[in-house]
Amino acid sequence: MSDDSMPSIDTLAAAELDVDDIATLRRVAALYDLADPVPDGLVERIQFDMTLDALHAEIAKLQRLESELVGARGGAEPGATEVQTVTFTSPSLTTMVTITPAGAERVRLDGWAAPGAGVRVELRTEGADRTVVADEDGRFVFDDVPRGLAQFVLRSGTDPAKPPVITPSIEI
Amino acid sequence: MIAVDPAPDTLAVRAGVLFDAFRNGDRARMGELVSLVTPILWHTVRAQNVPQSSAEDVIQAAWLALVRNADAISDPRAVLQWLVVTARREAWRTVKAERRVDPQDFEADDLIAPTDAAPEPTVVREAGQSALWNHISQLSQRCRELLRVIAFADRPDYAMLASALGMPVGSIGPTRGRCLAKLRAQLIADPQWEV
Repeated sequence: MSDDSMPSIDTLAAAELDVDDIATLRRVAALYDLADPVPDGLVERIQFDMTLDALHAEIAKLQRLESELVGARGGAEPGATEVQTVTFTSPSLTTMVTITPAGAERVRLDGWAAPGAGVRVELRTEGADRTVVADEDGRFVFDDVPRGLAQFVLRSGTDPAKPPVITPSIEI
Repeated sequence: MIAVDPAPDTLAVRAGVLFDAFRNGDRARMGELVSLVTPILWHTVRAQNVPQSSAEDVIQAAWLALVRNADAISDPRAVLQWLVVTARREAWRTVKAERRVDPQDFEADDLIAPTDAAPEPTVVREAGQSALWNHISQLSQRCRELLRVIAFADRPDYAMLASALGMPVGSIGPTRGRCLAKLRAQLIADPQWEV
């Protein structure tokens, strides 16, 4: 089981944990932190998802992605110059958003939510969140939006108790 | 039952306090709980050889399960254990779905794991770290999993975490247990190793 100098595994195993063990485990933690760290942004992504979940949000589905220049797609920079329309649906709301290029790395978003009169539309992008209120026809506009990941949160303008509708993130 | 220390300040206790506050209406505490516990969940899931991107999904799913089942957890102090068990179960399901796994890999504690079962250290700089990595790699899959996970917790939580990982009673805490004993024996035998 053991040689002259080395206590057996059983003896070592039966002994109480000591400060050397704790020091070794700290080094084990440091090693794994280095070799396989928690990915950047994971904690934030989970926190964000849980906020949505805690709101009992209605999750909208991305219904279709249309391009007015279908033939031009598939290049190295899809979306760089074309107008795109995306539609999100959920049980209580349908939202259509047209994405129009507006200068370098910027777009304009023209949206229409139905039924959407007075709906508060929040646009979440990596830089900042912006909120506008849809007009009586359910139309809303976000000007000068940086390209990148974007997500919409739509809340009833009249009934604060109604669960918000959240869209998946899309690349605009 | 094992006697419980009068509320030592451990990861499990801190998690329990946050979860209790969350359940009592302080919703913002959930964000703190996520940043406190996600690291140990990450290592729990990755220790099962779940690929990186699936590991993120597994952990996300465990947290959503917590929010949805928040009222089903009778003792808030058990929240860390609940999360580890849930994440591990979800990881196991993912691994099984992604590839066939010989169940022996997860049961035979005394086998030396094949080297390809050890995750590759991408950045191990110091000599001491690479020595420690080599010693850890010689342990069984189960021992590596146990040590990797408990390394991110505090001593009074070890026994509870071992049980959450499906290890037999006495695997670690209050005694050293066989996994840590093996690592210690290897380190003692390594003339290069300094405590």
